[in-house]
Amino acid sequence: MIQESIVEAFNLLMSFDEEIYQIIFLSLTLALLATLTALVFGVFFGILISSTTFKGKRFVKKLIFTFMGIPPVVLGLFVLLLTIGPLDPVFNLFTVQVMFFAQFLLVLPIITGNIIISSEKTQKEVLETAETLGASRMDKVKLLIVETKPFILMSMILGFSRAISEVGAVMLVGGNIRYSTRTMTTYIARSNSMGDYSKSIAMGIILLILAFVIHSILARFRGDFYD
Amino acid sequence: MINLNNVNIVFSDVVIKYKDFTFKKGEITFISGPNGSGKTTLLKAIANIIDHKGEIDRNGFVTFVSQKPILFSKTIYQNIIYPLEIRKLDISNYENRIEKYVKLFELDKILHKKAKSCSSGEQMKASILRGIIFEPDVLLLDEPTTALDIKSIEELTKLLNEIKKDMTIIISSHDRLFIEELNDVLYELGDPYV
Repeated sequence: MIQESIVEAFNLLMSFDEEIYQIIFLSLTLALLATLTALVFGVFFGILISSTTFKGKRFVKKLIFTFMGIPPVVLGLFVLLLTIGPLDPVFNLFTVQVMFFAQFLLVLPIITGNIIISSEKTQKEVLETAETLGASRMDKVKLLIVETKPFILMSMILGFSRAISEVGAVMLVGGNIRYSTRTMTTYIARSNSMGDYSKSIAMGIILLILAFVIHSILARFRGDFYD
Repeated sequence: MINLNNVNIVFSDVVIKYKDFTFKKGEITFISGPNGSGKTTLLKAIANIIDHKGEIDRNGFVTFVSQKPILFSKTIYQNIIYPLEIRKLDISNYENRIEKYVKLFELDKILHKKAKSCSSGEQMKASILRGIIFEPDVLLLDEPTTALDIKSIEELTKLLNEIKKDMTIIISSHDRLFIEELNDVLYELGDPYV
């Protein structure tokens, strides 16, 4: 079966089938855009939460950590309810836009939580040291960005992995519509439910290869993470 | 000069009181005592890193070099010149001084190496150099010899003897040989009421 699937994966890629390439392109674009957008907000909120003291901080952190592990299908359901409810004027169901929104919400707590966890201790030591060397507030902000850089990349990798591999949320809000909202994972789920296991595994192999390539590109920016 | 006047510091749920405690310029003062006696806590209070009650007179800029060197994600050289950069000082005026101390501490071969990939001893030496390069008025060293070998301790002794005339230096340590070599004043902690 595995051998057959590897051949099938190769055939799928070599067939230059427009549908397959459209699916791959949509999956990658969605995952990358959702991750990059969540990165901007996640880094901002992560640094803000970890570097400030406010009432209810522990609760906010617990909430973020809880949402880090939210099942995609539950989040999909939540976005679905929002889309047919208060966000009706903003998003339409079964569109790429709402799929992007769902993936963004899925990745945001992962990036925010990881920035909080990884930078809290480092920040304290770095900021204390910078203070005793005479650093101004602006110097400390600059230093913080540089020191948090490895964690930002690590969070990005985790966020992207979550976005590219999830199926529940995009299936619920995207509807797995052919030539429109079908992604690699929903393609796998559909082929599997139709008993076409070799196609499922073939797309799974392509997904893993693409994830490996993207991680290899990211590894060039932070080699030691993979050592 | 540093003067503590009825300072209370909370340390491990115990309040340590310091009455009329003076550290003079040109002297090296050692704070010694067993683990948990509050040596680091006292230095951190003087550096204003931790909360305390009472008055601490700090004449001039106080810098603190921690026991665990916290170097930034830069090269050894960039770390050493960091205090000069943030003060927008002309680094060329300090080149001779940097070169001299870098050679003394044998950091010249790893000067452009990423600091975090260096050994803990090398990081400690870079951390000390970063702390003194901009000539602060008060230098606080927390257990500086922990990660250093005998040769490096000798180099540090030489360096501190050279710079002490213009600075107030306070060192926490229980390295007896190091204390005997440099000691001007020694305070033994243990009794929380010094």
